[in-house]
Amino acid sequence: MLTFISQIINGLNQSAVLLIATLGLLIIFGLMNVINMAHGEMIMVGAFVTYIATSILNIPFLIALVLSFVVTALFGALTEVTIIKKLYSKPTETILATYALSIILKEIARIIWPLSQNVNMPFPGTISLGGVIVPRYNIFVVIMAILLLTFTIIFFRFTKFGKKIGAITQNRQMTECLGIKTSTIDTLTFAYGAGLAGIAGCILAPTTGVSYDMGSTYLTDSFMTVVVGGVQSLIGAAFSSTIIGEGRTVLAGVSNDTWAKIMIFLAVIILIRFKPEGLFAKERR
Amino acid sequence: MKSKLKDFPVNHYIDIALLIFLIFFPLFVKTFRVEMMSRYLCFAIFALSLDLLWGYTGLLSLGHAVLFGMGGYMIGICYQIQNGLPAFMTREGLTQIPWFYIPLKNPIAAAAIGILIPALFAMLLGFFMFSSKIKGVFFTIITLALAQIFSEFIINVQKYTNGFNGLQGVKRFAINGGEQLGKVQYYYIVLAIAVLVFIFCLWLSRSRIGKIATSIRENEARLGFFGYQSSHYKILIYTISGALAGLAGVLYTPATSSITTQDIGVAASTAVVVWIAVGGRGNLTGAVFGALFINWAQSLLSEHFSSYWQLILGGVLLAIIFFIPNGIIGQIIELQRRRTVEGVKIKEQSNANKGAGLWRQIFSR
Repeated sequence: MLTFISQIINGLNQSAVLLIATLGLLIIFGLMNVINMAHGEMIMVGAFVTYIATSILNIPFLIALVLSFVVTALFGALTEVTIIKKLYSKPTETILATYALSIILKEIARIIWPLSQNVNMPFPGTISLGGVIVPRYNIFVVIMAILLLTFTIIFFRFTKFGKKIGAITQNRQMTECLGIKTSTIDTLTFAYGAGLAGIAGCILAPTTGVSYDMGSTYLTDSFMTVVVGGVQSLIGAAFSSTIIGEGRTVLAGVSNDTWAKIMIFLAVIILIRFKPEGLFAKERR
Repeated sequence: MKSKLKDFPVNHYIDIALLIFLIFFPLFVKTFRVEMMSRYLCFAIFALSLDLLWGYTGLLSLGHAVLFGMGGYMIGICYQIQNGLPAFMTREGLTQIPWFYIPLKNPIAAAAIGILIPALFAMLLGFFMFSSKIKGVFFTIITLALAQIFSEFIINVQKYTNGFNGLQGVKRFAINGGEQLGKVQYYYIVLAIAVLVFIFCLWLSRSRIGKIATSIRENEARLGFFGYQSSHYKILIYTISGALAGLAGVLYTPATSSITTQDIGVAASTAVVVWIAVGGRGNLTGAVFGALFINWAQSLLSEHFSSYWQLILGGVLLAIIFFIPNGIIGQIIELQRRRTVEGVKIKEQSNANKGAGLWRQIFSR
C-alpha cells in the first residue's frame, strides 16, 4: 500500500513536469495552430541556459529560472520572425521547417556538449508525507506547475493581451480590421509559448540532467497530452497530464517503463478513434 | 513529332536515364559500390512507399521506418534461427525457439510475412486513426511517437530481438542452407523489384485510387460531398504503403547483412522524409532521385563530415523548404510546364496580332 501511495506521489511529480512541458506547446499549437516540432529543443535550450547560469556562472537557481524564460522567449521570437511567419497557412512546410530546426539545434548542442551535464539540485533534502519520503524539489515542481497554469489562465482570460490572442484565434481578419497588429501579437504569443518551454527545461534540468536529446521524448509526450486533453483547453491539459503522468508511473511500477509507454500509446490511439477532439474539447467549429 | 517529344514529361526522361544508368552501373565500379547501390535501391523503394502516402495522399508519417524495420527484422530473425537457437536467446535463458518464430525459418515465408505484417499493422493503425475525423497533423505526431516507442520496444524485448545490438549475419537469400546470392546478382534482383515497384506506383497513382488520393490531399471535404468515404481510401493507401515499406526492409536487411535499432527509429524515419523533400514530393521520380542522391552524397561526404551529417541534413531540409519547396525534380517539372505554357501563350499572341506581338512578348515575360 505504501509503495502504491509513493507511486501516486511520484506520478504527481511526473504529471507536473508533463504539464509544464505541455503548456508552451498548447499555446503555440492550440492558439496559433502552428505545429512546432522544435518544442523539445526549446525545452533543451531552457535547460542549457540553466546549466550555463547555475553551473558555470554560479547564478542562483530562481534567477536562472527567469533567465531561461527570457532567453528561450527571445529565441522563440527570433524563430517566429525568421521561419514560422513565412509559412503560416502551410502546415506541412511548418512541420518540416520546425523539424529541420529541431535537428539543427540538437546537433549544435551535441557538438558543444556531447555528454550529459549535471545541474545542482536547488532544494536538496527530503520531507516525509505520511510515511512516504518525497524530495523537496518534487514539491517545488508541483507548486510551479500549478502556479504556471494559474498564471497562464489568468493571462489569457483577464488581460488585454490575452483577449487579443483569443480574438485572433477566433477571427484573424476581423481582429486586423479593428486595428490590432496581429503580426506582432503572433510573435509575442509564440515567444511566450517558447518561454514556457524554456521554464520546463529549467525545471527538468536538476532531475534529468542536461543533454542534447532530452527534448525529443517531451515533444511526443506533450503532443499526446494535448491530443488527450483537447487542443484549446488549458484545464484539459491539466487533467490529461495528470492521467498520463499517473498512468505511466503506476504502470511502470507494475511492469517497466517501456511497456508503460506502449500501454499509454495504445490507450491514446483508441481514444482518438472514439473521441478525436480530446476529452475536454470546447465545442467544435 | 518534335512537339510530341517536347510534351513528353521531363521526369520520364529522368526515369529512363536513371534506369539505363542503374543497369550498366555494376559494369564500371567495384563490387562494394554495387553493394552500396543495392542498399540505396532498397531505400528508393522505401521512399516510394512514403511518397504514395505523403506526396500523393498528403499524410506525412514521421514513423515510416517502423514499417520498414518490421520487414527487415523478419528476414533478420529468419537467418538467426537457421542453425538452432541463436546465442543471444540462450544467453537470455530461452531453451527453444519461440513458437511464433517457427514460420520464419523459411526465407521465402519470412519475406512474405515481412511484407504482410507491416501491411496489417498499417491497416490496423489506419483504422483507428482515419476512421475518426482527426486532422493530418495528429497522424504525423502519432507516427512520430510510434517511431520512438517501437525502437524502445525492440531494445526492451532483448530476449527475442537481441536488443540494441541488432541482428547480424543475414544471408542474401540462401535457401535451404544453400549458397547465398552473389552481390551483383542480388543487385539486379533488387533493381528488378525496384522497377516493378516503380511501375506499380505509377499505375496506382494514375488509377482511380490514385486520383482519389490526390483529391484527399487537395480538398478532403469536397471529396466527402461527392459521396466518397475518404477514410477507406486513406486506410487502403496506408496499407499499400506499409506493404511496400516492409518489402524495402525485407530487401535491405540481406543487402547490408544486418539490421539494428538504428534502422527503424526516429532518425531513419526522418531521413526518408528528407530524401523525398529534396527529390520532390508527389512525383515518383523525385522520391527515387532523392533517396539515391542524398545517400550517395552522404557516403561520399561522410568521410569528411561524418559527425556533422545530421546538421547538414537539417540545413538542407530548411533550405529546400524556403527556396525550392517542390524539391529538385518537382522544380524541373514545374520549369518545363511553365515553359510549354508560356510557349503556347506566345504563339497564340503572335498569331493574333503580329504587329504588337514583339512588345507583348517582352511584357509577358
